[in-house]
Amino acid sequence: MADFNVNLRGVGSVSVIDVKGYLDAHTAPDLENVFNKLLDQKQFKVVVNFNDLKYISSAGLGVFMAYVETMRENQGDIKFSNMKENVYNIFDLLGFPILYEFYKDENEAIHKFIP
Amino acid sequence: MHQLDNNAALRNFSALVDFSNLINSNLDLTFTLNNILLTCFGKFHTTKGMVALSNEQNVFEVKASKGIPGQIISAFPPVKFDDYKGIDNFQQFLDANNFPVFQEIRSSEGLKGFLILGQRLTNKPYDEEDVNFLKTILNVGSTAIENTLVVDKLKKVNRELDAKVNQLSSLFDLSKEFSGILQIEMISKMLVYSLIGQMLVSKYSIISCANNIHTFLENRFDENHLRLALKSCDTNQFSKTFTRNELTGDLKPFADVGVDLIVPMQIKGETKGLILLGKRKSELGYSKSDVEFVSSLGSLAIISIENARLFKETLEKQRLEKDLETARNIQNNLLPKTIPVLPNFEISAFNRSARMVGGDYYDIVKLDSNRILFAIADVSGKGVPAALLMANIQAFLKSICKMNLPLAEATNLLNDLVAENTTMGSFITFFWGILDNEKHELTYVNAGHNPPLLVRDSQITKLKKGGMILGVMQTTIQYISETVTLESGDALVLFTDGITEAMNTKWEEFSDERLEELVRLKYQEDSQNLLSHIKTDVENFTKGAEQSDDITSLVIKVK
Repeated sequence: MADFNVNLRGVGSVSVIDVKGYLDAHTAPDLENVFNKLLDQKQFKVVVNFNDLKYISSAGLGVFMAYVETMRENQGDIKFSNMKENVYNIFDLLGFPILYEFYKDENEAIHKFIP
Repeated sequence: MHQLDNNAALRNFSALVDFSNLINSNLDLTFTLNNILLTCFGKFHTTKGMVALSNEQNVFEVKASKGIPGQIISAFPPVKFDDYKGIDNFQQFLDANNFPVFQEIRSSEGLKGFLILGQRLTNKPYDEEDVNFLKTILNVGSTAIENTLVVDKLKKVNRELDAKVNQLSSLFDLSKEFSGILQIEMISKMLVYSLIGQMLVSKYSIISCANNIHTFLENRFDENHLRLALKSCDTNQFSKTFTRNELTGDLKPFADVGVDLIVPMQIKGETKGLILLGKRKSELGYSKSDVEFVSSLGSLAIISIENARLFKETLEKQRLEKDLETARNIQNNLLPKTIPVLPNFEISAFNRSARMVGGDYYDIVKLDSNRILFAIADVSGKGVPAALLMANIQAFLKSICKMNLPLAEATNLLNDLVAENTTMGSFITFFWGILDNEKHELTYVNAGHNPPLLVRDSQITKLKKGGMILGVMQTTIQYISETVTLESGDALVLFTDGITEAMNTKWEEFSDERLEELVRLKYQEDSQNLLSHIKTDVENFTKGAEQSDDITSLVIKVK
């Protein structure tokens, strides 16, 4: 079974989600749970830190598609940071860079929310 | 003079070598074209120039320009690869903007495009030598252009290939995931994530179709409007994919809701579900390859969804079967487990239901040390409803036995109770009797049951006295009983119509005649043997055919 871990932490008013391991159709529900929790708590400013993510499938990408509109409708966003090249290539291939902001560093992304 | 010419030629030559080295050192198209223009500018002292190349549709497009205002570039006529020479507005464009030089760029594969240059600053016209030099530059340049174009194309093909590989690995991933999951909700969720991740959509709907009922497994469109759209169109047409511009006529409501693509999920050509997708966020339409991907994903998912549904159905069926088995056990317990004995009578009984539970019933109750009550009944219908009514009459019979009423009066009461408990159309054929050991007597009431056969000296008497079948209406006409004196050696055979109406493979019935003949032949044997003869005869007769009705028989021998 592929290994996936998701951790949620708050940095000021921004929620940072750390994803680790393999994010695919099987593990996508774990990430979904975290997003549902954020919606319950009315936390709409989200940075996803991909530093420890090894692989992402299109089902994994789908989770971000499923929640980004709600976040933006509530003056928030989902921003990405610390992405490895192989993971970024998949995002790039499917056209995500037109729709999402990608940052090299988590702090850079957080500062976009809190200037 | 000669020396001067040589010097000029040498300069030209070294400029060409430099140029060639430079443009072949880089595979970027803009860099190459800019350098061609700059080399021309330097050589001919002009400040205006542009390069147009043919695109995939064979129309020339300006790819690089210098010193030319934007409005002139946008006025560049969309000339076609094949016939630009014959087109007036192309020549007009050159004349109007004062472009004296127009030179084709050709490679080994033919015409690639052309270069246009403005007036020289010195106002000197371009002479033959200039044109020749320009041709040489373009000859060298065309190879570089060709190379960069090929590289660009390769990059594009590579990216398309990457996208395809990614789609395939998505499919592979999901086929692995789907196979292990038997919850429809999980499957549709995974399907949705893969679809929206791959296609960049945020509006979607996964609909399962069974018997014209559409169930929304996942939906991000306006549900009410989508339901209306489904209702107002002929859903049989969803055996193919529909893209945005095909959503017209009765499918237009889908476009109004925001649906851009409808892909059927099919099993063996039958549409079992639909995938509806909204507009892609990337503003791209759905390409053929995208539709193929969605369709493959859909096929994978629907098989898993169908499997999950069948699994659930099987579980439910198993549960139902277990319930029925419990019911059968209960019913078997309602039949007498041991048969009471009296010195002068010998009784055997047999019952087999066509289904798990049945509507036939018999009972044998010892009333006191001298009397036995026995009964046989056939409830109309089969299966569970008949079994419930059978349980009902069993309860009544047990209670009434305790009241010690005369048999006819007891039958009146029994009918009243049954009539109260039956719905329209159900009824019970019923026969009961009391054997008196001391008096060698049988008192019976027949309420519409197949008359039992009393055999004495190979002669059959049918016991018909009684009244109408039970349960049709409250007792208005009293039941009557009859008492017959029994002699040693008499045989009494009771049966339900499951015996006489048992069918063979030729759709013939076992019949009363066959039963009577058998009974006349074998009535002298003891009750157990006589019963076995009846059982085996019916079994032999119906061999290969399905048992269609419950079978019950009771045999009483007078010692």
